Amino acid sequence: MSDLDLDPIIHAQSRLRVVATLAALPVGDRITFPRLQSLLDMTAGNLSTHLRKLEDADYVLVTKAHEGRRPTTSIELTPRGRLAFETYAATLTALLGGGSS
Amino acid sequence: MTHDDAPHSSQLDVGDDAPLDPAESLRIIAAQTDKVRATQVDGRVLFGVWGVAWLVGYLALYLTAEGHLPGGSSGPGGLLLPATWAYIVFAALIWTAVAVTIVYSIRVGSGVRGVSARTGAMYGWSWFIAFAGMGTIIGGLVNLGASDEIVSLMSNSLACLVVGIMYLAGGTFWQDTRQYILGIWIILVAVVALYAGLPGAFLVMAVLGGGGFLLGALGDHLVRTTRTTRTARSRG
Repeated sequence: MSDLDLDPIIHAQSRLRVVATLAALPVGDRITFPRLQSLLDMTAGNLSTHLRKLEDADYVLVTKAHEGRRPTTSIELTPRGRLAFETYAATLTALLGGGSS
Repeated sequence: MTHDDAPHSSQLDVGDDAPLDPAESLRIIAAQTDKVRATQVDGRVLFGVWGVAWLVGYLALYLTAEGHLPGGSSGPGGLLLPATWAYIVFAALIWTAVAVTIVYSIRVGSGVRGVSARTGAMYGWSWFIAFAGMGTIIGGLVNLGASDEIVSLMSNSLACLVVGIMYLAGGTFWQDTRQYILGIWIILVAVVALYAGLPGAFLVMAVLGGGGFLLGALGDHLVRTTRTTRTARSRG
């Protein structure tokens, strides 16, 4: 097993941080863009860019809605994204376990 | 939100960020999990504020009724009554605890939508509905001609029963054993307080009830510190 087995969509610092944060939320929860941004300390533009890549891969679902007059954007991990993250984490553990032997 | 088209490297390019090794990846996952967990409900805040409210509030009622603090009086039938100032302190503490709970819950839940938010809202309303029902039942007892002693004891015990049942429900729902145990404990306190009679019920509520919440806060604190130590060790 090598680094090549790691999902390239997730295996990049910023996107890994985004996906790990979303995966830490309870299943079925969405988080608003500003709240996610504050958990990540990323600029809005940077976060948008990475979210779009994750959205293209069908790993996250971005929902735009109105609460009263205020437009809100909320983000959640799709089942496909959660599976990809869990597979990624399992591969990491296997890589580290295998690396020491 | 702006979807600006900042220049970035091509799709799926691993190198669009600092390079990662597996150990670094695991550290990032652990750090973000901790960060999210730190924004979730801190049991120490809620157990703590209720523990202090019950301990101090009920203690003031007990000590003035027993004459250890001034202001208490004797009611009909030799019943010992707490001082008016003690009731004011008690009410102020309970309302402060209610306010802290509501403001804290809203702050924790802000920015999160979906299942948790809906569950939290329904659970919050359950408290309100249960206490409204309880208040109405007490009103009914008054109308039926129940004595001051019965009304006073039943108000305490029923309130305690409602709190206990809500903790059982919360513990069940969030699979939180500490909360569930606290629910059982508070229901026991409700029973013991009723049988203790007045003014002993106030002491039971203060020490066993308030003390129970404070033990819950301490338990939460211990679990958090061991969890943090464990995470720190696994990262090191």
